[in-house]
Amino acid sequence: MIKKIFGNKNQQAQVSNNMATKQVRYEALVKALHGDLYRYAYWLCHEKQVAEDLVQETFLRAWRALDSLKDEKAAKSWLITILRRENARRFERKRFDMSEYEEATITDTRSTSTEQEIENHWLREKIAAMPEEYREPLTLQVLGGFSGEEIASMLSLNKNTVMTRLFRARNQLKEALDDEPKQRGQYNG
Amino acid sequence: MSLNNEVNTMDDLQFRRSIYADPKTTDAEVLAAIEADPAKQKFSQELDALDEKILSALSIPVPENLSEKLILRQSLASHQQQKRRSRIRLAMAASVAFVMGATFTFLQFSSAYTNVGDYAIAHVNHEAKYFTNSSEANVTLASLNKKMASFNGSFSENFGELIMADFCRFDGMKSLHLVFRGDSSPVNIFIIPNSDHLEFNSSFKGDALKGSAKNFNKSHIIVVGDEAESLQQWQERIAKNVRWSA
Repeated sequence: MIKKIFGNKNQQAQVSNNMATKQVRYEALVKALHGDLYRYAYWLCHEKQVAEDLVQETFLRAWRALDSLKDEKAAKSWLITILRRENARRFERKRFDMSEYEEATITDTRSTSTEQEIENHWLREKIAAMPEEYREPLTLQVLGGFSGEEIASMLSLNKNTVMTRLFRARNQLKEALDDEPKQRGQYNG
Repeated sequence: MSLNNEVNTMDDLQFRRSIYADPKTTDAEVLAAIEADPAKQKFSQELDALDEKILSALSIPVPENLSEKLILRQSLASHQQQKRRSRIRLAMAASVAFVMGATFTFLQFSSAYTNVGDYAIAHVNHEAKYFTNSSEANVTLASLNKKMASFNGSFSENFGELIMADFCRFDGMKSLHLVFRGDSSPVNIFIIPNSDHLEFNSSFKGDALKGSAKNFNKSHIIVVGDEAESLQQWQERIAKNVRWSA
């Protein structure tokens, strides 16, 4: 009995030691990747509050499964995979159609915006209006810095499909940007 | 340079497709094409600029305190989880203690034998090494009857040479154990109160021993002896001598 209590204490010390290590890992993970993850979530759901909830839910799940993350380099894609699953779950729960994108949900620009901010806002609308299947690989490539192969495996697509979608996504944006002056005129007027 | 000319077989469409798909490509063929053609170089630069704009557009502002919130939320959740876990541990320890206690009680107070015959033979075998037929037989009728009193009985006269008479636990019940000198080996007699949990069979047999049980008043008298012994005779002698007061 005494041994049992004693052993338990040792074990407890070890557990709390492990917990401390886990905590350090977790906090490092949060600090390094929460920004990218939040942005990625935003471009999945177009709503700041929902994006924040998604990121919270993702990190909570990540905490519980942290022991299964062996390779720190894979952390970002691991988190994004969790987040995508979490987002899909949200659709199962609520079933509202996000393809009906509403302008009001997109980041607002203040009247005092700089030129750069106006252009960002304009481009954001274009990106938001883009089909999901183009936007997602583009976000992963530009924001996440993932290669074509990595994106293909994260989205369960083949690499050629991913490359075609990336091509179309940029092509759309480039064409839109080439028409930009006209649009901008409308904006300012 | 001649190498570049050879490589530069990539057509325009193919070039555009690969540079649009990944402006930061490290593909040797694409890089060579850019190197060789100023127009393509300009195009590539345009796309780099486009990517910068895209990145800037995608990089929406992150809520300032998001990382603190995430850490706080996790520590609250894991605290809750730990509390729940320690409660579960306590509950598990309690159940283990309960099961141990229950098992102990069960083993102590429950019988491993379902009928008197099995138990009586086991009991005799267990104590066989203490008694032999040549042991001194000097227990008097008076001391036997003193013990019989607690079963509300007595014997009118000696019906054998009594080696030992003592109270025994007979499968958890208080019983009187008598050892008589037999024909070739000691004969064991148990006087036990009637009980519900043991089945009384009037005769039973073990490997080397046999036995017979008889019901008197509020008690059973069980005789166990070896194959050569006439248990019938012993039972008759007992029946003739025993007196019950209540």
